[in-house]
Amino acid sequence: MIEAVGLTKRYGDKTAVDHVTFTVRPGIVTGFLGPNGAGKSTTMRLIVGLDHPTEGSVTVGGKRYSKLRAPMREVGVLLDAKAVHTGRTAENHLLALAATHSIRRERVEEVIALTGLESVAHKRFGGFSLGMGQRLGIAAALLGDPATLILDEPVNGLDPEGVIWVRNLARRLAAEGRTVFLSSHLMSEMAQTAHHIIVLGRGRVIADAPVESILAMAKGNDVRVRTPDAARFSAVLIANGATVSTSDPDTLDVSALPAPRIGELAAQERVVLHELAVVEGSLEDAYLALTQDEVEYHAGGTEPA
Amino acid sequence: MSTAPTHTHPHAAHAPASGLSFGGVLHSEWIKLHSLRSTLWCYLFTVVVMIGFGFLLASVYSSDVPLTEAAQQGVWVQVATIGINFGQLIVAVLGALVITGEFGTGMIRSTFAAVPKRFPALLAKVLVFGVTTFVISLIAVAGTAALTAPVLPARGVQPDFGDSAVWLACVGGAGYLALIGVMSLGIGTIIRSSAGGIAASLGLILVIPIILRVIAGVTNTQWPLNILAFLPSEAGARMFAYTVDEPPPPPDTITLEPWQGLLVLAGWFLAAFVGGAILLQRRDA
Repeated sequence: MIEAVGLTKRYGDKTAVDHVTFTVRPGIVTGFLGPNGAGKSTTMRLIVGLDHPTEGSVTVGGKRYSKLRAPMREVGVLLDAKAVHTGRTAENHLLALAATHSIRRERVEEVIALTGLESVAHKRFGGFSLGMGQRLGIAAALLGDPATLILDEPVNGLDPEGVIWVRNLARRLAAEGRTVFLSSHLMSEMAQTAHHIIVLGRGRVIADAPVESILAMAKGNDVRVRTPDAARFSAVLIANGATVSTSDPDTLDVSALPAPRIGELAAQERVVLHELAVVEGSLEDAYLALTQDEVEYHAGGTEPA
Repeated sequence: MSTAPTHTHPHAAHAPASGLSFGGVLHSEWIKLHSLRSTLWCYLFTVVVMIGFGFLLASVYSSDVPLTEAAQQGVWVQVATIGINFGQLIVAVLGALVITGEFGTGMIRSTFAAVPKRFPALLAKVLVFGVTTFVISLIAVAGTAALTAPVLPARGVQPDFGDSAVWLACVGGAGYLALIGVMSLGIGTIIRSSAGGIAASLGLILVIPIILRVIAGVTNTQWPLNILAFLPSEAGARMFAYTVDEPPPPPDTITLEPWQGLLVLAGWFLAAFVGGAILLQRRDA
């Protein structure tokens, strides 16, 4: 169980995490979703005490992380795949971490086997691929057989087989009654792994719901309109309360206005329509809809709002 | 998901639950120190070069006048400890790297996640690196003394193995290198970057003394030398000085006793260590 209450982190005048309150429950996989720069990693660093909160607090199993008697036995954490000395072999890295909690060598061998690192265990980390680094990070997180797992972007850099492996691992660990909290910026990944999703945008929680509810939001009301008179009709739609975006000159992607109403408006304004289609909302669309105002850096080089 | 099993996690069921302990953290730091190939090479290089410098000095030493017994012992100590000038550079670099290597690679986050109170990890680093450096330096210094003893009589120096002051100076030399190393570790903790930590550390050990000497020479004044006497390298060097029948220092010159030199250097180490420990707790990792 992870509980954040009013958790806030400012760096200078930039607020990375802004009064975030949430609970991550045991027995399910909780996804932590948000665009890059939304504050996911910072939140995770705050949970394990690497960063100090500016305001608010966060506890794991009712205690602040730094107060835990055996942190590695209670919380396993993969923060980023680079938290390893490049000159040390994978096995020695794990042995050094295990030693702090007097975890036996057999357990080190166990997690090496579990994460499929046998062939590179005696190689130095400096030569590892991103995927191998992720596996080593996950191995380190599992060392203490912890009740809570915090994994920051665990599938980053993994091949498809590795992605499925992480997915199954996360669900299995949750099924064992553990608290599993993993972040991703990919909605599709989350939808297949998580039971519950917390969406973060610009440091704020913008959704905190079971995955089914988030999926329901994806059944969007977007309508695609193709017309040679796109510019004029776009103005009409906007005047009627729609949100309009254009992907090419004669195509309008309309939301917040139902298709029949758009048809009526077209008839009224004598606009020729080549296409009027309800777009099946995808997860990514729902996610983008949720976070569109919260993305820190939009593509196209515009200044952040 | 409502169907998720709710039984408690199984980790309590097997294996005696071992917790975080300072002994474990010490063990961890020991694994970290010896599992880096660069550390092993640096130590080996230090021992070989220090013994080499000793032999070099022993083979070129000559005195126009016959030496007193104490002076001969003094020469022997000089031969045994001449390599410290070089060894201190490697030890300072290694000491800084013990912690800056972790900041640079991100390893520090793994360390702090495992040891969230942080201070025990720093203390363990200091102890493990300090003791290891002391032992290896002692092997290098005492080894140089023992190995050069057979060649010294040809240079008019008769080493007396029964002279405890010689061995005390050897222990002092090893202690000097260990303290320089852990002071550099403290500086590395404050500065965090490898390049910065090494530069600051070597600056304090090497560059500032040179500047003070130049100022003293140019202005023909004594005060820069009296400041110099309290800098880590100068004060610490008194730890391995052979002080039996030492000529009295010129008037107005501050010359520390070996134990005073030890205290001054220990003070430098403590300042760096406490400063590093405070910043380590406060800063985000």
